[in-house]
Amino acid sequence: MSILLDRLTKRLGRVLVVDRVSVELKEGEMFVLLGRSGSGKTTVLRMIAGLVRPDSGRIVLHGQDVTHAAPQSRGTGFVFQNYSVFRHMSVAENVEFGLRIRGEKAPERRARREELLDLVSLSGLGDRYPNELSGGQQQRVALARALAYRPGVLLLDEPFGALDAGTRTQLRRALREIQRRVGVTTVLVTHDQDEAFELGDRIGVMDGGRLVEVGAPESLYRAPKTSFAAVFVGSGNVLVGPVTGGSLRIGTIGLPIPPSAPHEEGAPARVLVRPEQVILTKGDPEPGTLMLGKGVVIEQRFGGASQRVRLALPHPPGIRQLAPVPPFGEERLLMDAVLPSQVDVNAPEWSVSLRDWHVLQQAKPKLLAVHPPRGPVPSIAATARLAHRIDATVTLLGLAEEDLAASKLRDGLQDAVTKTGDSRLDVRVRTGDVAEQLALEQHEALYDLIIVARKARRGGIDATCEAVLESPRSPVLVVASEPERLDRVLIATAAGRPGETAVRRGGWMARRLGARVTLLHVLRPGREANRFVQAHLARATATLRAMDVESQVRVVAAATPARGILDEIATDQHDLVVLGHHAPARSLFARDDVPMQVLLSSRLPIVVIPAEEGA
Amino acid sequence: MSDSQDPREGARRFLPPGILVLVLLPLLLMPLAAIFIFALEGGPSKFVDALRSPDAQFALRFSLLIAFTTALVNCVLGTFAAYVISKYRFPGRQSLGIVVNLPVAIPTVVVGTSLLLLWGPIGLVGRWLAPLGIQPVFTPIGVLMAHVFVTFPYMFGVVKPMLDELEATYEEAAYTMGASRWQTFRHVLLPALRGGLFSGALLTFAHSLGEFGATVMVSGNLRLRTQTAPLYIFAQFEAGNIANANAVAAVLALLSFAIFFVLIRWSGGPGSMRQRKGR
Repeated sequence: MSILLDRLTKRLGRVLVVDRVSVELKEGEMFVLLGRSGSGKTTVLRMIAGLVRPDSGRIVLHGQDVTHAAPQSRGTGFVFQNYSVFRHMSVAENVEFGLRIRGEKAPERRARREELLDLVSLSGLGDRYPNELSGGQQQRVALARALAYRPGVLLLDEPFGALDAGTRTQLRRALREIQRRVGVTTVLVTHDQDEAFELGDRIGVMDGGRLVEVGAPESLYRAPKTSFAAVFVGSGNVLVGPVTGGSLRIGTIGLPIPPSAPHEEGAPARVLVRPEQVILTKGDPEPGTLMLGKGVVIEQRFGGASQRVRLALPHPPGIRQLAPVPPFGEERLLMDAVLPSQVDVNAPEWSVSLRDWHVLQQAKPKLLAVHPPRGPVPSIAATARLAHRIDATVTLLGLAEEDLAASKLRDGLQDAVTKTGDSRLDVRVRTGDVAEQLALEQHEALYDLIIVARKARRGGIDATCEAVLESPRSPVLVVASEPERLDRVLIATAAGRPGETAVRRGGWMARRLGARVTLLHVLRPGREANRFVQAHLARATATLRAMDVESQVRVVAAATPARGILDEIATDQHDLVVLGHHAPARSLFARDDVPMQVLLSSRLPIVVIPAEEGA
Repeated sequence: MSDSQDPREGARRFLPPGILVLVLLPLLLMPLAAIFIFALEGGPSKFVDALRSPDAQFALRFSLLIAFTTALVNCVLGTFAAYVISKYRFPGRQSLGIVVNLPVAIPTVVVGTSLLLLWGPIGLVGRWLAPLGIQPVFTPIGVLMAHVFVTFPYMFGVVKPMLDELEATYEEAAYTMGASRWQTFRHVLLPALRGGLFSGALLTFAHSLGEFGATVMVSGNLRLRTQTAPLYIFAQFEAGNIANANAVAAVLALLSFAIFFVLIRWSGGPGSMRQRKGR
């Protein structure tokens, strides 16, 4: 390997511009860092050159740790977007600069210079001055200058950014050829995906300071792992929905989840459909095709040989759309497709089916920590610890009733997040009615767990808590104080489907936490566990075992289910209680409801699993 | 709509410049003319004689020498200050930038006084140096100190914006190619600053040539020792030798015109000597 970046991190003020970037480059490889402006790609490049000092992490060039070495000693060649060719020096002097600094003799310098000017097709222009050259020529000079002293690594920062389209294409091709011929390991930074596709042996996609995904251009396009890469590299349709029975259901069709992208039951899965994988037919499609639905063309863009069309379809329930981003007020499902230009798209209705699709890797769990305008809030440190333990990302949702409070809240939360130094946390602030904003937030993003705080004293369920529990779309973790340990999980289960959901979601948490599970079943006094109950408990244990979670079963007798659960909690052998619910979510907090009774009488952290999760 | 026919148009167009010339006439143009008229009043031979006197000769040569040395010193000092303040990030950088420019704001007589109070025989530092036989004031060194002090901001003021404007990537390119900070300064920055250094030096030279307030305090106005041309003019005028004063004044004025002319040509007026920067 010729370049090794190991958890490279850089902060500028409060902003984390580069966040634990790790990658290894092979000898002679052309590696393209692709990302939007501000994604941290240039900072990574500058850190490799030694122009920016990393806060932590390591840089190894050809086996030598240069993390703290001066730029002069690294032997890198750097090409800037603005060329930075020395104006008071002729082309020849520019190219020879590095050699002159190294004390090489004039004849050798001249020979090398001629060789390089030839390489970049500028032979005979050695006596010219930069102001007599075009932009493209100046950039060729910069390239020759950077290669003159045979650097171990060539670094290019948006080298074609300042050039017109024609020159850009020409120079791109030239660069590819020169790089192949010289065989120097190269890192090129760009925001242009065409450039990345054309030049890169491998592409690293950067977003928000993180190297989100690395892969060959083709595999990045065909089979990206993350939704960011899916949307940023090439265009496409990305839909999200829960996994049921091993496949992702979109309306009437089910897309099987491939073994290469394992998903847990009920977890959201994201599927990428490239525009060329969408089939449009007038009338009904052939039987057996995966038809998404019937839609109308709402947008059409001519692109030479092909045309891009956007269709609007009725929105299947339970499905969210990540891309294309639906405009405000659009509730239909939007699908982009490509068609040959000669096809007339003026049909009242098109059948939209899928030729092929790609299921993205299961994303990290997403937690939502609710910070209401009044009342108790979940401890940020504890939230960060939990996120760390289950490898999740957290959104701290600040809720404010008016704008001034919102900006204060945002600053406060941002400060607190900065203090933790944890990049898993981000902050979102919403202004308006608490219950309404909570519902909106859950509608806009699918969370795996919602964290809400309650007062420490018994029965301390306030309005926010109630609002969250009113109709949650995800499991809700209600915490009273900072949980000390989360090593023993009690899952209270009843026979039937809600019980199954509780076991699955509780098992999921236990596996993430590395905790042991106790499965609790409460019987009326004097009753025996019938075959139905026993079968359910056996299946629950098997399910947990399949999830690699250790469990034990406890069957107790009590006057009411809540009483039984509370008695079990009182034995002080559990750190977290997971409760499912039979009733529709609406009446979840009726006072006679089991979770509410447990919540009112216990101070343990409790996860409430909504009955109709994901539906 | 064309109103070129309107007879009032001419008045409208030429009235403001006319007023400006009328205002400037007694303030600037006529006094300048007066110097030459007076200087040549007694005929060219008298003018030459006045210049030939040893005192006038000394004053002119001394002034030129001091101005040249001041320009040289500030070329180095001012560029160094500009480089440090432009390229290094350190606490107090902003305030240092203000301090460096302070001499433009302080009356030159105050500068002279302050130097006296520091280096003079009874000054804060001077009183310790005097017993050792070291006494910078009332010597050419004192005059040089005053001139360097007073003209310091000119060099700085020209070079600093140029350094600020020059993109950091030029230096960074040099660094990655292996050039040390000094090599980068020498081979990359300095050549790019050439024009600025030249005009900064000329500005410094011109200001030093005419410097009076600080010089009169620090030099002690000793003829044939520390008397600069402006001091000579003042002394001769006070003594009633108006012809002597005028002859030197005319020479100073001519020198200033020459420098001014070069500066204007250099810094990009019509027919500028400076090569246009290619984009």
